[in-house]
Amino acid sequence: MTSAFNQPAEAHHDNCTNQLRKTIANLRACYPSRIISEQFGRSMVQCAADYPQLIAVTADLMHATGMASFGSQFPARLINVGVAEQNMAGVAAGLACCGKLPVACGYAAFTSLRAVEQAKVDCAYNEVKVILAGLSAGLSYGVGGPTHQTYEDVAIMRAIPNMIVVVPSDAVEVDQALRACLDHSGAAPIFLRLGRGPEHTFNAPDAPFAIGRARRMRDGAEASIIANGSMVFEALLASDALAQLGIRASVVNMHTVKPIDTTAVLREAALCKAMIVVEEHSVIGGLGSAVLEVLRGGHAFPVECIGINDIYPPIGPTPELREALGLHADNIAACTLRLLQQVGHAIDTPGTINSNAKRQVQEHTA
Amino acid sequence: MSRDATLFRPDPVVVQDDQPQTLQGLREMARLNRVDAARMFMAAGNGHFGSCFSCAEIFATLFFNVLRIAVENPNWSNRDRFILSKGHAAPALYSALIRRGFMPEAWMDEFEAKVGAKLMTHPSRRYQNGVDASTGALGHGLSLAVGMALAARIDQRDYRNYVLLGDGELHEGSIWEAAASAAKYKLDNLVAIVDANGLCVDGTLNQVMPIEPLASKWTAFGWEVEELDGHDIQTLLAALDIERGPRGGMPRVVIARTVKGRGVSFMQDVRGWHADVITPAQYQRVLEELQEPLV
Repeated sequence: MTSAFNQPAEAHHDNCTNQLRKTIANLRACYPSRIISEQFGRSMVQCAADYPQLIAVTADLMHATGMASFGSQFPARLINVGVAEQNMAGVAAGLACCGKLPVACGYAAFTSLRAVEQAKVDCAYNEVKVILAGLSAGLSYGVGGPTHQTYEDVAIMRAIPNMIVVVPSDAVEVDQALRACLDHSGAAPIFLRLGRGPEHTFNAPDAPFAIGRARRMRDGAEASIIANGSMVFEALLASDALAQLGIRASVVNMHTVKPIDTTAVLREAALCKAMIVVEEHSVIGGLGSAVLEVLRGGHAFPVECIGINDIYPPIGPTPELREALGLHADNIAACTLRLLQQVGHAIDTPGTINSNAKRQVQEHTA
Repeated sequence: MSRDATLFRPDPVVVQDDQPQTLQGLREMARLNRVDAARMFMAAGNGHFGSCFSCAEIFATLFFNVLRIAVENPNWSNRDRFILSKGHAAPALYSALIRRGFMPEAWMDEFEAKVGAKLMTHPSRRYQNGVDASTGALGHGLSLAVGMALAARIDQRDYRNYVLLGDGELHEGSIWEAAASAAKYKLDNLVAIVDANGLCVDGTLNQVMPIEPLASKWTAFGWEVEELDGHDIQTLLAALDIERGPRGGMPRVVIARTVKGRGVSFMQDVRGWHADVITPAQYQRVLEELQEPLV
């Protein structure tokens, strides 16, 4: 707590955050989970019939990337190059040069680092559409430690000209994003950043998904929370809990980091009093940076980027690790409160929600 | 440095589709390949002389006899593919493509010479017709060729896939990743050519990083190996023009023993001519020495 707040405000703030924590825990329990790698594998199998040119290329990660079923159903369409990520990306580019629709299925850590020159030269510079599916990204393989945790991949891939970067937020969006990538008409590779284990499912299967077009999932003009990947769910929980305090925070699912939806960012900037950007990635070079590049400093409101602060995170199970690093709805909500207080936005205590806020909450929960 | 590349105008550039099939014709194309490369380097003031001159016979053989390509349809889906993995020999490729009519001759004199020049140090399919893959960073081409050969297999097409590697390039580990995968997938529609001139940038391969014995290395990786004189067009023809269709299930590597800088006395086997600045006087000497085809 900063010294800028006097004691009553501090107590008030603590009161609010305790309330938020309880609400968030209750809300979290309402959502089912699905395993991301399994969903990716299922979606690939389903897409095989619709996309006859679809080929999976993997680097001894057929099982880990959920491709075992694809491999057994379509053995001729799964190329396994062994533990050789550079070759995986190069072979995929060669296939794409000859009209195939290759999806290189690897771990984000290795695809983005070991095969980065192939991603740049063979795929992006060569102007071929290769989908570089990077699984186990972020902290989703938290126990793997810093070799397998991945927090620089978006920054790296985003800096490559002609590379598209898509970060879906749940199993439903993994399916939608994969299909959107396969349908994408550009002569450009796509880095499809995916998680690994169970993630909460909240997207509607029939909601439209378009690469480069953000989805506004909650409305609100006080604060704006922009998130992608696993952090969209945390942002939603934070927003829904804040709504119970009468605070309306919008949630924007920025599933495409590049090309970023500039219009969506500027729309938030025109409305909000504070902005929070959340990602399971380094604060250097990822979504937060991309949003700030759009704002270009021309904003009067505070912006907080929540991410991994240029450290090698500790080792641990994913949910606990995320929480420990502040990649959690509690921290997002607390951060939102703090920023709003900073800009002098009055916050009601839970017991004294004003009538206007009450009405908003009722509308929201209806 | 003078950019005057008009000191010397060689023979008419475009070779019509009735291309030279004779040994004599191919030798002449190899000569012109070196002359054109020198012309481009003169436009830039410097260039990878040694790296281009070692593979002139390989380009003549491939582009004027072996490759099934069509200038009127550069993106023909059933064309033979060629990847210059040692991308710094791009002028040798440009010469071949220009003389087959894929690109205008005038581009030669703008090589590296201005912002927006169509021809630069390394080949690019963004700007150049007939180039199957942009290269330049070493160690990439064989993987690309494996992907193309796999696509041919999957689509049941009979195009062949050629990739030219440098011997120094074989230091890159990714080459051996790709070599293993070509053998695993039995890509007998794939031919790798190693321009084995024995020199890399810092010295001889033996000094910098020994890679011999090359033949047994490739054999151990499951490839069908042929070792030959990389300046002997007749031998190259027989080794490179593989049958289309099933061929026994092994990818082929042709280890072409070559001389870096071949054809110009003061460049031959000289480390420094991997890439260097050239003076107009040196350029004149190059042209004088390249007046007759090498035998």
